[in-house]
Amino acid sequence: MILAVLFANNDGNILIERFHGVPAEERLHWRSFLVKLGADNLKGAKNEELFVASHKSVYIVYTVLGDVCIYVVGKDEYDELALAEVIFVITSTVKDVCGKPPTERLFLDKYGKICLCLDEIVWTGMLENSDKDRIRKVIRLRPPTEA
Amino acid sequence: MASGQESAGMTLMDLITSDPSAAATSSSSTAAPSTLGKPVITEKKSKRATLMQIQNDTISAAKAFNPIKSYPQKQKKKPVSYAQLVRSIHELAATSDQKSSQRQLVHHVFPKLAVYNSVDPSVAPSLLMLHQQCEDRTVLRYIYYYLARILSDSGAQGLSPGGGIPTPNWDALADIDAVGGVTRADVIPRIVEQLTAEALNADIEVHARRLAALKALTAASASNSEILGKLYEIVFGILEKVADTKGKRRKGVFSKGGDKESIIWNNLQYAALSALRRLPLDPGNPVFLHRAVQGVSFADPVAVRHALAVISDLAARDPYSVAMALGKQALPGGALQDVLHLHDVLARVSLARLCHTLSRAPALNERPDITSQYSSLLYQLLLDPSDRVCFEAILCVLGKFDNTERTEERAAGWIRLTREILKLPEAPSVSSKGSQPKDALPPKPSSEKPASKVRRPQPLIKLVMRRLESSFRSFSRPVLHAAARVVQEMGKSRAAAYALGVRDIDEGSQLHAYAENIEFLDSDPHDGSQSEAIRKASLLSNRAGRLDTIAGLLASLMEVVRMTVACECVYVRGMVIKALIWMQNPHESFEELKSIIACELSDPAWPSALLNDILLTLHARFKATPDMAVTLLEIARIFATKVPGKIDADVLQLLWKTCLVGAGPDGKHTALEAVTIVLDLPPPQPESTSGLTSVDSVSAVDPKSALALQRLVQAAVWFLGENANYAASEYAWESATPPGTALMMLDVDKMVAAASSRNPTLSGALTRLQRCAFSGSWEVRIIAVQALITMAVRSGEPYRLQIYEFLHALALGGVQSQFSEMQLSNGEDQGASGTGLGSLISPMLKVLDEMYRAQDDLIRDMRNHDNNKQEWTDEELKKLYETHEKLLDLVLLFCYVPRAKYLPLGPTSAKLIEIYGSRHNISASAGLNDPAVATGISDLVYESKETPKGAETIDPDLAMAWVTGLEDSAWGSNVPAMEKVNEFLTGAGTDAPDVEEENITSRPSVTYEDMWAKTILETYEAEEDDARSSGTSSPESTGSVESSISSHFGGMSYPSLFSSRPSGYGVSQQLEQRSATTSSRLGNTSFGGPSSTSEGLGSPIREEPPSYSTSVLQRFESFENPLAGRDAQTFGSQDDADGSENPQFGKALYDFTAGGDDELSLIAGDEVEIDYEVDGWYHVRKKRPGRDGKMAGLVPVLYVSSS
Repeated sequence: MILAVLFANNDGNILIERFHGVPAEERLHWRSFLVKLGADNLKGAKNEELFVASHKSVYIVYTVLGDVCIYVVGKDEYDELALAEVIFVITSTVKDVCGKPPTERLFLDKYGKICLCLDEIVWTGMLENSDKDRIRKVIRLRPPTEA
Repeated sequence: MASGQESAGMTLMDLITSDPSAAATSSSSTAAPSTLGKPVITEKKSKRATLMQIQNDTISAAKAFNPIKSYPQKQKKKPVSYAQLVRSIHELAATSDQKSSQRQLVHHVFPKLAVYNSVDPSVAPSLLMLHQQCEDRTVLRYIYYYLARILSDSGAQGLSPGGGIPTPNWDALADIDAVGGVTRADVIPRIVEQLTAEALNADIEVHARRLAALKALTAASASNSEILGKLYEIVFGILEKVADTKGKRRKGVFSKGGDKESIIWNNLQYAALSALRRLPLDPGNPVFLHRAVQGVSFADPVAVRHALAVISDLAARDPYSVAMALGKQALPGGALQDVLHLHDVLARVSLARLCHTLSRAPALNERPDITSQYSSLLYQLLLDPSDRVCFEAILCVLGKFDNTERTEERAAGWIRLTREILKLPEAPSVSSKGSQPKDALPPKPSSEKPASKVRRPQPLIKLVMRRLESSFRSFSRPVLHAAARVVQEMGKSRAAAYALGVRDIDEGSQLHAYAENIEFLDSDPHDGSQSEAIRKASLLSNRAGRLDTIAGLLASLMEVVRMTVACECVYVRGMVIKALIWMQNPHESFEELKSIIACELSDPAWPSALLNDILLTLHARFKATPDMAVTLLEIARIFATKVPGKIDADVLQLLWKTCLVGAGPDGKHTALEAVTIVLDLPPPQPESTSGLTSVDSVSAVDPKSALALQRLVQAAVWFLGENANYAASEYAWESATPPGTALMMLDVDKMVAAASSRNPTLSGALTRLQRCAFSGSWEVRIIAVQALITMAVRSGEPYRLQIYEFLHALALGGVQSQFSEMQLSNGEDQGASGTGLGSLISPMLKVLDEMYRAQDDLIRDMRNHDNNKQEWTDEELKKLYETHEKLLDLVLLFCYVPRAKYLPLGPTSAKLIEIYGSRHNISASAGLNDPAVATGISDLVYESKETPKGAETIDPDLAMAWVTGLEDSAWGSNVPAMEKVNEFLTGAGTDAPDVEEENITSRPSVTYEDMWAKTILETYEAEEDDARSSGTSSPESTGSVESSISSHFGGMSYPSLFSSRPSGYGVSQQLEQRSATTSSRLGNTSFGGPSSTSEGLGSPIREEPPSYSTSVLQRFESFENPLAGRDAQTFGSQDDADGSENPQFGKALYDFTAGGDDELSLIAGDEVEIDYEVDGWYHVRKKRPGRDGKMAGLVPVLYVSSS
């Protein structure tokens, strides 16, 4: 189960978040925990360099892409490695949408499209599409595979 | 959420809409003003809009709402509000045929609306209209996005699982007509209807929309059975048409040049299986299983992944039918073999889990052919190029599946790993020549084909070790973390194998890797102490030095693991340390581990949650191998000394306690010694703490950690007092020494000599405590005295006398006693001189005096009776019994003793008490205060002796009887402390004690050790460091650890051998709720005036409430101090036993609208139950859920009148 996908800017403002299976009262904790984690560790990190953390049996993988920090939280079959796959799909899609590692402005300009992509990547707490081309097709409402 | 987003003073909406460049693009779309620019008439702003504005303000989503809105035009810096966006949708929907309005929607309205986590139902009609009329794909895609949002909205607080800026509860708003009176209930059937119709549309031209509609439908919450029914219908309808395709094609081949129809089929297959995965499992349904199994052969990799996930979930429930349904798929050439080469990592992960479940299923024991197919498939996955898959396969082989597996399974896993051999099938079924990297998933595309690389049979252990070693050389932190985790699990399985005494795993034996077959040389079994030598011997190779032993492989792996400690990520290091702890064998030297940990802990980067987690790992490790108690305690001590400020005293105590219990009769002494090492640390001095770092490596460099160290010492002292008797197996009620003997040993030296020769453990503990009582800091001394008192009460002679002597000396003020006259003249309490402990000690001394006096009296009386050959009359017996009861009550003030067994008058009184008790049918546990006894009913009952099992009585008169009894005689003079006790007993104290309903029973058949040991071992099962149940819990649940550190002082909440309560690690709620009461108590104790004395004395009475209300705990409630039940009586009824549990009710004074997730909306007059108060907020619980469906949450204190 992918419990959360979270995008934040460098100041710790949350840009996008998707929770699944996290009770409403715990979301606040997760937000602050993740943002703090990023603030502590992401200084000077390279783009797409992967960071890992764990809390009990929940795994967290996070990275930075341009001005945006991306956090993915999961458990069970989504362990740190599976989350690394998920975050790889997310970063490559975001790069695809924005054309480069996004500045915050660019990210916000593409906000709607990124939301659509995210829905295709992580749907109801599971990884759905992982192929860039396929995602690009689906968000334009074309069939995932075309002749 | 808003807090996060507003930290920079900007909302997300501000950020999105405020940028000039965005505005530039918007003004460049010249057509926009034609529809939008026409100012939305502000004067005509309806009631609805007004309310919407209010709502928007409440949710603080868009702070600067500008009523004079002309959206994309001039006011570039003004953020748009939700209401504006919605209005735009309504307007644009009406003109959706125009290009410009579509562009407007796609570029401005929809993306900005995405900021909110849901849209209100009143938008739905417009969306549905667009859905029907609009042709533009991008617009439509957004429509599906928002329809899915509306469907997934759970209704409570507008919280869809998605997240985003929280939106209000639309249904509640609809009632006040804020959103046009449209509720979800109105629109959802229409949405579902429209989407269903579309999902059933077989027209090939629109099949992309069909897929999107189906996906949107799966967003609906699983609780809606109507939608689920429809989904089942659609999914199975699609699969019926497309699943039975005969022209099976290889994965990944279809992408180029497939015919159109089959591609469409592939897409439909994918969509159907994706929806199937979201549907609840239907284990008994053969069609469900059949369709899922068909899915394995589909061409779409994502479809295959979902199919395998469904099947592996099903297999956990019903392995037999799954295996039958899969049939030949697992054979070479079958679809499952194809999955091995599928470029989808998660599909292969699911395959590993499926294979594991099926190969181990007891239901398939009859079919070894099937299980062996699946094991072989599983072993092949060990060669997988993806670390994720390989590690999953290793974990499966090790028997780690979820967290429910038993020790036997883990042990079997270790045996499997060390014994089994991977034989690859002769002809690899599929050459993966055509497989394009269709899926970008594998992180590093395998350059060489794994199947071709290793052809000859290989022992699993070698494969695994090599793989792990190479993973540890990776630079990726997730890989390192995962690899360390795998090693940890390996350690667990290994420990399980050792624990079960699987002796024939001989790590020194050789692994022969011959080309054709493999055999183990069964060398003589030897234990690990010899293994070093034998390993060296066995390394004499017969094949060019390529002969390995398991021990050799492990050693080289561990070498790599240890190197990984150099990783800069603390989480990776934490996992590595856990792995090292698990891989540590009891008989190996642990110096290296110790030094690694000691080095590591000097790093200030460690978060305290992680450290406590490691401590819990020690705990789990101990449970797996009790032999390691001392080793683990040594390691724990490093934590105590190096990072006292970061670890929770409770977690440490938990470890101590478990080690003490689990160490067995022989190990108890050592375990206790290891605990007390903490006491021998030099006390940190407030002024020059830095000087201490050199001494025995105590790092208490800052005042905070110095304080924490102090607390740890307190904890250790308390622990010692509570548990020394257990460790020493010395109990007054089991002591053989007659009371007279003690009096003959009044010579101190003799006494001490006798004591230490009889029970070195106890006297050792005594000595340490005495030292602490003299030389520790004042806080430590208080606890040390309390601990001594506890031991005095619980131990028999000569220890009691020894402590009595010591306390006496202490009360007189030791060396300062010569000044006592001066102090007397000052009018000060003489006892308070010198040590400052006099007020604490004197009540205790009085009780001991009473006891000794009563014992003397008894002996004298007995002698008189013997001399006169006189029978004891009933009257005399009654008097004796009353004294017994009175003393018992007094003693119970100080610490818990078993009422039924404890004999304050000494062992000789046992017989007389028993005579009286049986004559008057007094149950030993309830004593005189049993109402039946008090009213004389018991005298009328004849065959009573047997107390009914259910009569776990705490009698109603007890509390008052106690109080009066105390006032009458026991305390003689009016010690000020006594008032405090009485106050406390009658419930007048400010701090209502946290007590549970008491069940006091006598269970003579169970010894305390048994019961206690049982309690602890069972209770802490829940605390396994990797308890899956706590998986979702938020990181803040460890916040309680910190809060509990501060609130745990004075030993009140330290776990005691005699309390069955864990003092909740990770139990945030209860602790938080009670921290208020606890801390007020703390204040009392630490001020230490006379009034606090009895607080301190009575402290063991009031422990933290149970963190886990398991049945075990309930059963052992009788371990609680009986006193606790007594004061409950003052509250009247049994049911309300716990003072602080007494529900507090209140009434809402005004309407209150929740402004956040955790708040609760109230309507004036709502009756609520107040749980607790925090920072001006009450956490309250409503009688029935409000409109938003919420029952409990925070409300401002002022809004509720508490009754």
